Amino acid sequence: MKVTVETKSDKFNFPCEENESLLFAGLCAGVALPYECATGTCGSCHARVVEGEVSPGWAEAPAYSQLKPEKGDILMCQAVPRTDCVIRARNKVSLQQNEIAQDLLWTGVVVTSNKLNEDVIEFEVQLERPMRFVAGQFVTLEVEGIIGRRAYSMVNFEETSTKLTFVIKRKPGGGFSNWIFGTSVIGRRVKIAGPLGRATFRPHEDRHPIIIAGGSGIAGMMSMLRHATRLNYFRDHEGDVFFGVRALKDAFYIKELNEHVSFAAPALRVVLALSDEDPPAGRHPDFPGVWLDRGFVHDVASRRMTGKWDERVGFVAGPPQMVDGALKVLIAEGKLPQEFIRFDKFG
Amino acid sequence: MVWKRICAVSSIPKNALRRVDVEGIPLIVANFGAGFRAFPPVCPHMEEPLSESGILADCVLTCTKHLWAWDLRLDKMLGETEKPLRFYEVKVSDGDLYALIDNEIVYEFDGDDEEGDDFFS
Repeated sequence: MKVTVETKSDKFNFPCEENESLLFAGLCAGVALPYECATGTCGSCHARVVEGEVSPGWAEAPAYSQLKPEKGDILMCQAVPRTDCVIRARNKVSLQQNEIAQDLLWTGVVVTSNKLNEDVIEFEVQLERPMRFVAGQFVTLEVEGIIGRRAYSMVNFEETSTKLTFVIKRKPGGGFSNWIFGTSVIGRRVKIAGPLGRATFRPHEDRHPIIIAGGSGIAGMMSMLRHATRLNYFRDHEGDVFFGVRALKDAFYIKELNEHVSFAAPALRVVLALSDEDPPAGRHPDFPGVWLDRGFVHDVASRRMTGKWDERVGFVAGPPQMVDGALKVLIAEGKLPQEFIRFDKFG
Repeated sequence: MVWKRICAVSSIPKNALRRVDVEGIPLIVANFGAGFRAFPPVCPHMEEPLSESGILADCVLTCTKHLWAWDLRLDKMLGETEKPLRFYEVKVSDGDLYALIDNEIVYEFDGDDEEGDDFFS
C-alpha cells in the first residue's frame, strides 16, 4: 500500500505492507518519522489519518488513551494501513541522515538464557543475518502468544552482530517476563524490529559521559561502556557511572564494570548505589574498582557530581520514577542542554 | 474577572512548583526567582502533571516526560517544545500572590475544531 505522510511543509511517500506498522515502513524507507518508545506507550509517534483506511493496531496501547481515535488519531508504531492513505504528522519528519540504512524487521532464535541473579536473566538471540547498531540502541521483541512488542536495549556491542544480548528483570504479571523466567525459551523464535532509538553514545561529540541507570536500565549502558573501552575513550575523557539497585545481592555485571574501571582508571568511576541497605564498605568487597554508596541513584549522583558537570553528556535508563529523578538532576544541577540528555522513553 | 488570592508569597520558595486549587480551579504556581507564574497543572503536550514531572531552574521550566521546556521569565518555548504554556495573570500585593481567574484554562489536545485544525500549531 502507498502511504503519504504530510507535515506543514513537506510530503513523504513510502510503501507499506498490510501487516507492517506505518512507523517501521517509513523508517525502512529512509523517512525519519518521529518516535521514542516504538511500543505504544510514549505517544511521540502520534499522527492523524486524513485519507484512507488505517487500523489502529493494538487499540489498548497505553498512549491511545491520550488521543482521539474518532478524529483519526493513530500511533504510527502500532497502526497498519488497510488502503492507500494520507497521514498528517508533526513537523519533525525528515529524511534520514547519518542513520544506518538497513531493513528493520528480523527473526531470531533465543540461544542462551542465564540467570544473573534471582531477578535478572540475560538472554541472547541469534539473528538470521547481521545487524548494525549503535551502542545504546534498542529493538522491540515479539513472541507468538504474547500480546504486544516489548523494547529491550542491546547489552552487547559489535558494530555488526548476528547475536543480540539482552537483560530482563523479573516483573510480576509481565507476559514477557513470565515467559523468559518461567518457560524453556531456548530455540524459540522471536520477531524483532530495529535497531531503534537515538539515546546513543556518539564518541565524535567529545563529551564526558555521566550515566545514571536503575535495574535493567544498565543494559544499554553496558553496550556504551564496551564501545568506549574498545576505543580507549577514557584515555582522554572522564566517565561517571551510577548504577542503582536495592541491595548488594541485586547487583549484576559488577565484574565487568570493575574491568572497565581497571582498564580506564582513573578517568572512569563507577558507583553502585544501594537504596534499601547500607553498603558493607566504601568499595565492593569483591570488585574494589566499584564504589558503594547508600541512597537513590539520582541522589547519589547529585552528591558525587558537584563541580564536575562540564561538557557532560547524560544517559538515563530505568524505572520511570528513577528516570524522572535523574533527569531533574541533569537539568537543574547539571545544567545539561537538551541535546546532551539521552534517554529512551520506554518504561 | 476577579483577582483571587492564592497564597502568601513567602510560602513559595524559589524554583518551587506548587499545585493549588482556587475555588475548584487547579493550577500551578511557580516562583522563578524574578517573579511568579500561574498556569494549568498539566503539560500542554500530553497532560503530564507538572507538579510531579516539572523541574524549574534558572527561570526555565522543563517537563521531564519529553523535555519540553519554557522560559517563564520571557514566556518563550525552548528547544523542541511545540506548544506554549498559558498563564493566568498574577500580581503580588501586600505579601500575597493573586491570580486573575475567570474560567479554567484548559489545553486543547490536537483536536478541537473550534480553534481550526491546531494539529500544526
